[in-house]
Amino acid sequence: MGGPETSDWTQRHYFLLRRLHSLLGLVPVGVFVVLHLTINSTILFGGDAFQTGVDQIHLLGKLGILVPVEVVGIFLPLFFHALFGVMIWMGSTPTVATYRYGGNFRYTLQRISGLIAFVFIMVHLWHMHWLGEPLGGAFFDPHHAADSAASAMQRSVIYGPIYVVGVLSTVFHLSNGIWTSLITWGITVGKQSQRTAGWACAAFGIVLALAGLGAIRGFMTLTLEEDQPPAREVEVSLPGGDSNDALASLTNNLDIIDEQTEKIHG
Amino acid sequence: MADQKVVVIGGGLAGLACSMQLAESGTKVQLVSLVPVKRSHSVCAQGGINAVNDSTRKEGDSEYLHLDDTVYGGDFLANQPPIKEMCDWGPGIIDLLDRMGVPFNRTVEGHRDQRRFGGTMFKRTAFAGATTGQQLIYALDEQVRFWESKGSIEKFEYYDFLGPVLDDKGVCRGAVIQNLFDMQVRTLPADVLVLATGGCGLVFGRSTMSMVCSGSACARVHRAGVGYANGEFIQVHPTAIPGTDKLRLMSESARGEGGRVWVPKKPGDDRDPVNIPTDERYYFLEERYPKYGNLVPRDIATREIFSVCVEQGLSVEQDKLCVYLDVSELPPTTLHKLDGILEIYEKFQGVNPREVPMKIFPAVHYSMGGLWVDFEKNEQTGGLVKGSVRNQHTSVPGIFAIGEADYQYHGANRLGANSLLSCIFTGMFVAPSLRNYLAGLSEGTAADQPASLYEKAAADHMAEHEALRNMSGPENPYHLHNELGDVMTRNCTVIRHNQPLTETVEKIIELIDRYKSIGLADQGGWTNQNLIFARSLADMLLLARNIAQGALQRDECRGAHEKPDFRIPAPDADSPAELHKQAKEWCKAFKTKNDKWLKTTVAEYSADGPKMKYEPVDLSLVPVRPRTYGLKGAEVIEQVWQEMTAGDADSSKPVATK
Amino acid sequence: MASTIHIQVKRQDGPDKSARFETFDIDYEPGMNCTTLLQRIAATPVTTDGKQTSPVAYDACCLEEICGACTMVVNGKVRQACTALVDDLIKESPDLITLAPMTKFSTVRDLVVDRRRMFESLKRVSAWVELDDYSDRGASALVRPEDQEEAYPMSRCMTCGCCVEACPQFNEKSDFLGPQAITQAIMFNEHPVGGMTATKRLTALMEPGGIADCGNAQACVEVCPKEVPLLRGLAKAGRQTTLHAIKSFLSK
Repeated sequence: MGGPETSDWTQRHYFLLRRLHSLLGLVPVGVFVVLHLTINSTILFGGDAFQTGVDQIHLLGKLGILVPVEVVGIFLPLFFHALFGVMIWMGSTPTVATYRYGGNFRYTLQRISGLIAFVFIMVHLWHMHWLGEPLGGAFFDPHHAADSAASAMQRSVIYGPIYVVGVLSTVFHLSNGIWTSLITWGITVGKQSQRTAGWACAAFGIVLALAGLGAIRGFMTLTLEEDQPPAREVEVSLPGGDSNDALASLTNNLDIIDEQTEKIHG
Repeated sequence: MADQKVVVIGGGLAGLACSMQLAESGTKVQLVSLVPVKRSHSVCAQGGINAVNDSTRKEGDSEYLHLDDTVYGGDFLANQPPIKEMCDWGPGIIDLLDRMGVPFNRTVEGHRDQRRFGGTMFKRTAFAGATTGQQLIYALDEQVRFWESKGSIEKFEYYDFLGPVLDDKGVCRGAVIQNLFDMQVRTLPADVLVLATGGCGLVFGRSTMSMVCSGSACARVHRAGVGYANGEFIQVHPTAIPGTDKLRLMSESARGEGGRVWVPKKPGDDRDPVNIPTDERYYFLEERYPKYGNLVPRDIATREIFSVCVEQGLSVEQDKLCVYLDVSELPPTTLHKLDGILEIYEKFQGVNPREVPMKIFPAVHYSMGGLWVDFEKNEQTGGLVKGSVRNQHTSVPGIFAIGEADYQYHGANRLGANSLLSCIFTGMFVAPSLRNYLAGLSEGTAADQPASLYEKAAADHMAEHEALRNMSGPENPYHLHNELGDVMTRNCTVIRHNQPLTETVEKIIELIDRYKSIGLADQGGWTNQNLIFARSLADMLLLARNIAQGALQRDECRGAHEKPDFRIPAPDADSPAELHKQAKEWCKAFKTKNDKWLKTTVAEYSADGPKMKYEPVDLSLVPVRPRTYGLKGAEVIEQVWQEMTAGDADSSKPVATK
Repeated sequence: MASTIHIQVKRQDGPDKSARFETFDIDYEPGMNCTTLLQRIAATPVTTDGKQTSPVAYDACCLEEICGACTMVVNGKVRQACTALVDDLIKESPDLITLAPMTKFSTVRDLVVDRRRMFESLKRVSAWVELDDYSDRGASALVRPEDQEEAYPMSRCMTCGCCVEACPQFNEKSDFLGPQAITQAIMFNEHPVGGMTATKRLTALMEPGGIADCGNAQACVEVCPKEVPLLRGLAKAGRQTTLHAIKSFLSK
């Protein structure tokens, strides 16, 4: 014990890394989750509304920066958040079996929900994102957003439950994470402010969960059109959407992630 | 002097204050404690710490009056120069504690708030809620931890002090200690040994004292030749709550903040106390002591509880000494200041004292007596000579005693909130004396002693340890302790009579004899608490004998020592002339009593029982006067006494103070 | 009310010895607490099945829940043995009262554990007010009553270990200071004199094992016997380190 004297980079920047971990969970990952679920929920207003939302996102694709934005803005922070989170989890010895207090339950749930969310996101990427294509996934087509998403969801009965559990875990992880981060960062210090923040985060979580669940229901129940062109063709014909280029750039980016992770964990 | 060390035994307020002060002045300290020092018994002090302060000064208070209250409250049995020095240091000590971060309660303007305590008319007591002792010891514990991190203090926590190492001239050269976990015995060579090991409440079985307050360390130096003074003066606190394992203090601050003590006027009234109307309640302290009210000195409050319960049969619980302590009418802001103690009552009794009067009982609380220590008077100030090697020095060269372990500051009865002051004061004040003693050693130091001295000391103690460990007689040390506690509590507390005291001494001798055939249920060599307790029982028996023998021999009433058979009958005449005559007789008897008994008892150890010596008390600052709290005809007595002593320059010359 | 109390004690003869359980029957007395039970066992160390055994080793000192010594796991929950009243425990578990040592520290013997790590934590965060000297420098700074009200509850922490026993982040895998030491650091940072050396404490709080290792399980505050505002202390540590990090970055 005693003050650890180490020249190890991660040890020296421990506080910064932990705060970065907390921050990245909120921005950009948290913000992205909110946007994503909000846009998805527009399916409840019909396929066209959803398509409009998707088109707005894919404007980035037209500008040729969708992939860099995705990688730097979402994948890197997400992987960092997840890997570092698991590392933190490894250092803990849950006591909730004995000390059954609300906070302790949330502490444990936060870790479990984080893990579920991460696994779910991987499944989701395979399922919907073009990254999943080499593995026989990638059923989503941004040009036929509503139909392709709905058909992807309706491919099997297992997707419904998977998405419900995944979305709920993600939403819990995010809203509870916001609440604890307010304490971690020292914003809510008093009992009353923490309680108020707790209700606000709960309300936020419920709304977001409803949006997410609504979207799932929307896609699960959407009636499919028959004459839909295969997704791949459209994808390739998108401006700047050459799949090979995209894959190349992604591989490149993954290398960078590897390097970073290596540096971090040394 | 550079590599000379001081070994401090005991990590309560006194030991910590001494250690930090020594560390600050560059002397290395080894601090030995049975428990992590933060858990020492000082944490149990609740009400506060006394010192003259700006607001009491405005009402005419001064250090002299603090001295006067202390001396008068203690029935003049204490040497006055040390008390004067202590009272002079009071304000500075509180300022220092404040700087250290003690969260004293505050006034609106941000000054320290003060409350009134027993035996004074002034609000001298600074406090931190109702857990002042805890807050003070934490502040000192933190300072000691700071010095520990700098390497100036080395702590030996979970160590028992087995005895001093004396050289062939009888000079202290170190201490023998034992690790309470692995039971290893080792020696700490040092030229100064400071005993700061508190009181001996465990002698009475259950008391308000902590489980470490057996007095064993004092007994162990007593055996080595240190005198044990005024042992018979044991404070019985008027307000405590009984428990099956110990008695828990209900601080005087409850009364300091306005709490009132009462009993139902009707004997055996079994109504819920909240339903007993005010005019059917007997506020006996307020009625009998209009001036001090509920804040009479503790010995008096305790005796009055005894009086209403036993003599008048008004106890709330039959066959016990139980009265109500009522804070239920105090405003919430006042109650908030008492949260610390009210919580204790609520947790242990399951009743909310904010709504229902508390049932409280007297309990053994403090040892006024303790190790005999010397002092050197400063003829100019009337106080002490700072840095004198005589201060706090016991009769064995190199062994000093401070805090509750010494006998010096409270006479025959301690005033509430003076103990924290005496602990911190003696701890800090003794430090330069210790340094001077170290510097003045002419015939070598501990470092010059042959290794054999320490090897032999350790081997002797190890042999005793082994002998004790293998004891397998029929007597159970815990049962012997219960018997000791019962007889001491029954015969040697509030009211004392010679016949039961004689029986008590005999009983103790019997127990000492039976102790020789005790058996240990645990004869292991690892964390053997059975053995540690059994060893301390021998020490408790030793001190018990000093206490009982001292009480038996002292045929008078003084402070906490009350022998009804030797009371001077209080004047009871109604006619002024007759009253005056009675007062004269009273004063004569009072003078005779003082001539005979205004003396310090010093017990010298011998294998066949204590040898009692009596030595005069230094009364050079406050002239002796009758302690007339609540006495009928008090004014007449005081007047007669003044006339009687007017020409008596020896005993009653007031000394001008600053 | 039961006239006999059944107590099961987890016993262990030494740090490297294996644990075992022993049960004892003790006559009921009103107002009993767990330390009384242990005293009774010490006086007559005979198990329920009549086997002579050794007295149970345990830590206890003040018995008024102010020294922090007698922390143990009673009926599965960490608390002070002195305020664990038999009457309440029987309500929790009518048939058997269980006593076990804390799990987060190494066992010395039976119910005695080695809690030095907590005191070392206090050293790590410089949990003291550093003074120039102990001379009489007159009256100290004025303190607002509300600042005293803020400090006093934190200052009641008795380093008993309940908080770290319940804390999932405090274990031998990590260097976590624990809620108690962090709250003490904050208390000193907020003291007028102690605040002078706040940077030292904040630096310690930002090291591995510092405030970042708090996982917000908040069990600490639930089990604290003295109602020390640990959560408030932890949140304040979060705030102070955040601001300190930003300030020191901007001042570089």
